Amino acid sequence: MNQSVHATCSMLDVQQVGLQINQSNILKDVSFSIKAGQFVGLLGPNGAGKSSLLRCIYRFIKPTYGQIQLLNAPIERYSRPEYAKQVAVVLQDVPEQFNLGVFDVVAMGVTPHKPLFSSINHKDKDDIAMALEKVGLSHKSNQMFSSLSGGEKQRVMIARAMVQQPQLLIMDEPTSHLDVKYQIQIMELAKSLGVSVLASFHDLNLAAAVSDHLLVLQNGELKAQGAPLQVLTSELLSDVFGVCAQVTQVPNAHSEQTLVPHIRYHYGYIQ
Amino acid sequence: MNKFALSALSLAVLTSFVSALSLGVIAIELSDIWQALLSYDATNLEQKIIIELRLPRAILAFLAGGGLAMAGLILQTVTRNPLADPYLFGVSSGASFGVVLLFAFTGVQAGLVLSGAAFAGSLLAMSALLLIAKAQLNNQVESMLLAGVALSFLFSACTSLLLYWSDPQAITAIVFWTLGSFSRADWQTLWLPAIVVCLSVGCMLLFRRTLNAMLLGDESATTLGVNVTKLRLGMLLLSSLLTAVLVAMCGGVGFVGLMIPHIVRFFVSQASTAGLLITALSGGLFMLWVDIVARTVLENQELPVGVITAAIGSVFFLTLLVLRKRTTASI
Repeated sequence: MNQSVHATCSMLDVQQVGLQINQSNILKDVSFSIKAGQFVGLLGPNGAGKSSLLRCIYRFIKPTYGQIQLLNAPIERYSRPEYAKQVAVVLQDVPEQFNLGVFDVVAMGVTPHKPLFSSINHKDKDDIAMALEKVGLSHKSNQMFSSLSGGEKQRVMIARAMVQQPQLLIMDEPTSHLDVKYQIQIMELAKSLGVSVLASFHDLNLAAAVSDHLLVLQNGELKAQGAPLQVLTSELLSDVFGVCAQVTQVPNAHSEQTLVPHIRYHYGYIQ
Repeated sequence: MNKFALSALSLAVLTSFVSALSLGVIAIELSDIWQALLSYDATNLEQKIIIELRLPRAILAFLAGGGLAMAGLILQTVTRNPLADPYLFGVSSGASFGVVLLFAFTGVQAGLVLSGAAFAGSLLAMSALLLIAKAQLNNQVESMLLAGVALSFLFSACTSLLLYWSDPQAITAIVFWTLGSFSRADWQTLWLPAIVVCLSVGCMLLFRRTLNAMLLGDESATTLGVNVTKLRLGMLLLSSLLTAVLVAMCGGVGFVGLMIPHIVRFFVSQASTAGLLITALSGGLFMLWVDIVARTVLENQELPVGVITAAIGSVFFLTLLVLRKRTTASI
């Protein structure tokens, strides 16, 4: 694994970050860091502050206090295009009142790399074609974005992020209303890019299977973080998520030696 | 495909210009048009009609059509509302109010001052719109549309009030102007809309990538490195200027800004450069023919352009409604 080669290099450092909106604490003293090439999963029940934390990191909102560093420099110091060259984001869903071609959506990824006057050149076109091929949608390049299925749309958004050529990919529940097949496909695609990934998840088993490191948020506070095996325990599941569950260890799909936690929920809460 | 559409449209625009020069109360032969364009003879009546009346008028109609389609496209892009239009957003009513206010108190009927008053009026409407929409950031798009319609009524009411107090002669002139017409086109005033429309198309081409990035939401645009607030404000200003200049020159010509981008979007991806040029050209082409119809359909009389565009626009809206119903019913 080439992850260990860069393992000392820090991609993102979040230090004591807090966010207050209308006197209520959305985030409180959140600190963690992401190493280069690491896949980090962000977990937490609805309203725990997952999206707010990610929004602070991709600079859509400014934290009330604390500091966030990207590649050892405070994120405010980057210009907007400079930051967009380092950090790409795939959101849960995107509005689509407009008729947009699939190619044009992916081509949006070159925006931070291009000065105002220039137009898309051959290299950009090749990059876009390659990204579309990687997500398996080359044949739909000329179709309209709105005609695609939910899974295909998210694959297009990942292709757009690939064209952006970031060091860090942030995903805010990119698979929440997709079929199981696409949930796995999207996450494995993100993992295959070889860049650092910070993704929030709804499905705990999926998070455990693909993440190197997990963060658990509850009421704006970081409740636990670490390797999936250490973090996902039945105590934490009942404490944070309010479910009764049994956690077993199963071998990873790719290597028999690595074990990942597997959650089996108990049912029958309402008698 | 897009290149083909562009060249076909350019050809259509060229032939429509020739038709606009030849058709009218007096039908003029092609050879005379050719003669007038090559060696203009001011003593020849037919040549004089072509150069002094029909040519500036056709150019103004083309500019107004293209410009209003652009203004609509800008509003639709930055508010992400396919139904946005200078008329529905109250920008045009604001501009009209500015013009009528100046007209009622000073009697000024033309010139730069009028455009200035129109711009002030449209800016007033746009600032009010932004202030109202900013208070409710969550459903910005819906509240913007509702606020726009409310503002449009408010400014119309103010305009009517001014008319009520004006003398009958002024009222006739104002009413004729609010119905929309290109009859005031002449070579001395044509430069202003020409510059503003060209400037807008240039700005749209220059910022097309960042504008397109906004189509998938503010959040998505921010992650692509776009300063959304600044770009939106600049583009809203540009569309106010465009609307104001055209309203001051041509009066109330509605629905073009809504209709043309809507139709073009149906065929061409919104994010393509060709789509932008196709929208501008189609708007101009449409308006050229509306003006030809306005001049020729009634004998010895001119139909107001605004009446024709409003009639076509309402039919368009109803057709859209019926088609939408049919597609949802089939699903």
